[in-house]
Amino acid sequence: MRLIFDGKPIEFNAGDTVLAALLKAGIHPAGGGPLCCGGDCPHCLATIGGASYARTCQTPARPGMIVERHPANGYPPLPTNNLPGPEVSTRHLHCDVIVIGQGRSGRAAAEEAKQAGKRVVTLDEKEGQEALGIYEGPLVIARTSQGMWHVHAREVIVATGAAEIQPVAPGNQLAGIFTARATETLAAAGVNLGRVVAIGEPPRGVEAENVQGQIVRFEGEKKVEAVVVRGPDGNEKRFACDSVSVGLGLNPRDTLLRMGNGLNVRAVGEAAREPDLPICPTSGTVCSCSGVTVEDLDRVWNSGFREMELIKRATLAGTGTCQGGMCTPYLRSFIKARGGELQPAFTARPVTRQPTLAEAAAGAHHRPTPRTALDAEHRRLGAYMDRVGGWWRPWNYGNVLEEYWAVREAVSIGDVSTLGKMLVSGPDALKLLEHLYPTKVSTIGPGRSRYVLILDERGYVFDDGLICNEGDGRYYLTFTSGGSSFAEMWVRDWADALKLDARLMYQTMSLGAINVTGPLSRELLSRAGFTTPLNYMQHTKAEVGGVACRVLRLSFTGEQSYELHHPADQSAALWRRLLELGADLGIKPHGIETLLKLRLEKGHVIVGQDTDFDTTARRIDMEWALKLDKGDFVGRQAVLRTNKELLDKQLAGLEMDGPAPLEGAVIWRGDEYAGYVTSSAYSPVLGKAVMLGWVKLFDGELPAQVVIEGRPARRAAVPFYDKESNRARA
Amino acid sequence: MPALNRLPATRIVATPSALDAAAWPANILALRIASDEVLVTPPAPEIKLNDPHAIFEPDSGFADVWLAADEALKFLERECEWELPAERPAFAQGMVAGIAAKLWLESDRVLIIVPAPFVADFEERMT
Repeated sequence: MRLIFDGKPIEFNAGDTVLAALLKAGIHPAGGGPLCCGGDCPHCLATIGGASYARTCQTPARPGMIVERHPANGYPPLPTNNLPGPEVSTRHLHCDVIVIGQGRSGRAAAEEAKQAGKRVVTLDEKEGQEALGIYEGPLVIARTSQGMWHVHAREVIVATGAAEIQPVAPGNQLAGIFTARATETLAAAGVNLGRVVAIGEPPRGVEAENVQGQIVRFEGEKKVEAVVVRGPDGNEKRFACDSVSVGLGLNPRDTLLRMGNGLNVRAVGEAAREPDLPICPTSGTVCSCSGVTVEDLDRVWNSGFREMELIKRATLAGTGTCQGGMCTPYLRSFIKARGGELQPAFTARPVTRQPTLAEAAAGAHHRPTPRTALDAEHRRLGAYMDRVGGWWRPWNYGNVLEEYWAVREAVSIGDVSTLGKMLVSGPDALKLLEHLYPTKVSTIGPGRSRYVLILDERGYVFDDGLICNEGDGRYYLTFTSGGSSFAEMWVRDWADALKLDARLMYQTMSLGAINVTGPLSRELLSRAGFTTPLNYMQHTKAEVGGVACRVLRLSFTGEQSYELHHPADQSAALWRRLLELGADLGIKPHGIETLLKLRLEKGHVIVGQDTDFDTTARRIDMEWALKLDKGDFVGRQAVLRTNKELLDKQLAGLEMDGPAPLEGAVIWRGDEYAGYVTSSAYSPVLGKAVMLGWVKLFDGELPAQVVIEGRPARRAAVPFYDKESNRARA
Repeated sequence: MPALNRLPATRIVATPSALDAAAWPANILALRIASDEVLVTPPAPEIKLNDPHAIFEPDSGFADVWLAADEALKFLERECEWELPAERPAFAQGMVAGIAAKLWLESDRVLIIVPAPFVADFEERMT
């Protein structure tokens, strides 16, 4: 049987790990460095089957397996093919106790918990179950042969045993250096270790020359050829060898425990032992993951970094793949040797084993994008769909100009189901709305609607919409598509905070809404059975096309418009009926691209596009929407305060000849920055580009002439189109 | 996995005390989705409540699917981070597959309800 290492076939026997197979072939997977065979150190890492940072000592060799050495410097390359890997499944498990590690102490802890009647989950590396990390919860993420496990436990018990301390001395980057346990494991696996010199605790069952003392250095070119040891008598002695076995003591395998700081996580058995303290080295690499040497430690120590956590950050020791599993004994002994206090190991960060992207993404989902009840209708009509305001919406139906002229000259329908919608009733409904809105809600009569701004406590505009008085103390509110979720919470929070007796029903997803707009919209609606005269900003309940609707007369496009709010399950039927009835009227559905152009011609602001986080009503020239002479409302005090300050910038209308500049384009006055464009479109009806943009005031005045994208532009009054709004109110 | 369909329902918003005291007919499922709100299916607009300001509205904003218990639990083990209630029947709410969901758990079957606008995403995540 063969595996492929860096393009060359390597023979292996049944039962071999990848590491054993490579060592038998005289290859060190990383080129050199002490090996532990316990999955603790970074010295056997390689890319296996395209997944980097795989531990060759823990991976059984398989025929045809592709193994690649990591580069000597830098990181292994990311996969460059575009082929998605297989999806990794997830299981969520809930338990009282999870025990990580199933050695003697782990089994005992699991049994004890079971005897106490607790629900127990165990993880055993021998069964291919590796805990990768512990997160807030506590939540343990584990890689298993059945996919990823996300274990939600009340208590985590770490029973992961102890790892051997690795040698730090000049030359410890050579091949042929093993911990005592690794020496035993590899000898048993049939790896020819040659002449073995054992320093400290000798390996069991392996013939070796046992030596006591402190390692001074390892010698050799690429592979160890000798080790120099300072004996108890202080003399240095050189021992020629093919391999060095190092038994310097044990350090608790406590990375997971250190990850669980502040959580209900404890260690048992060897994982809870006191760490052995090795002799502080005078030279050599302490942290192989980050390449930190004793000299590096000295430098930061002398710079005043004398705490474990600070030394970690100053040198990056312990920030690599093993999260301090290998270097903390030496960091502790270094600090103690320099006269510092013996300090506990630092907090570890997930992960202890490197997951593939598929494993990391297992169980994760993109933020879902909702679809209106008309989604299938739009797609059937060939709409180009895009995410707008957090929803899938029709951007256009293939011909924006056709859509545009249908609105301006005939009739069109648009899907506005995404608008936020809410019913409010109750004894304190009016009191609540008066507090929330800067308009005099009490002056909105039954059957009437009003366009309103919504301010936050700092007086900044965060949304807009309508208030519709339904009579009997009941109100229907609308919000922007993108802001409706926040607006709902905002209304609820204020109702709770003010302890007002109001009923609130959020209806955004329950109701569809279709905007019927254009000079022939009334004709279309009469064909659909709606003949009730409805003045501008009035609303009523009626059947349209056989569907019970709340009909609102308004205008965002600048033309006569009616919004039909209706049960979402009736949306498709109503939509089709309207298209059918308007066929000979030249009806076309319009998408968002057209809508943005239409509303811009009217100078209608889109909150979130034309507004920013510091937008006041004054800055967008909409102070008419605030009634400062009413009682207190959210944002009033801030408005009174900011109104005393000089106006520094304003959302202004701009126009220019030729094509429309990009939204976001910088506005210049000469060579001075004067602002930026927020909305921009070429107006077919006006034959020029129209824009809204934030423009700075110079000496208290907005400049009349500016430059955008190198072309002259003029400030212009809004609305650009139908200045008297005769068409909307027709 | 079977498809989700729009759920015909009535939504009722009223004072918590009025909802606590309400007598719900035996042939309907009344799910207390908030302290002041109940989702009733099939629609039942005639429920009597001791709240003159209560809001009753027909609702088609949710979609639902019944799954056999073992099929549902297998799916939920994969896509539900929170622990399901042990008792049956039980009502629970939370994120399932990254989407706000309501669960009505019976001993042999489970009703999964999600906002209708998220059905496409949810169905994709069920497979």
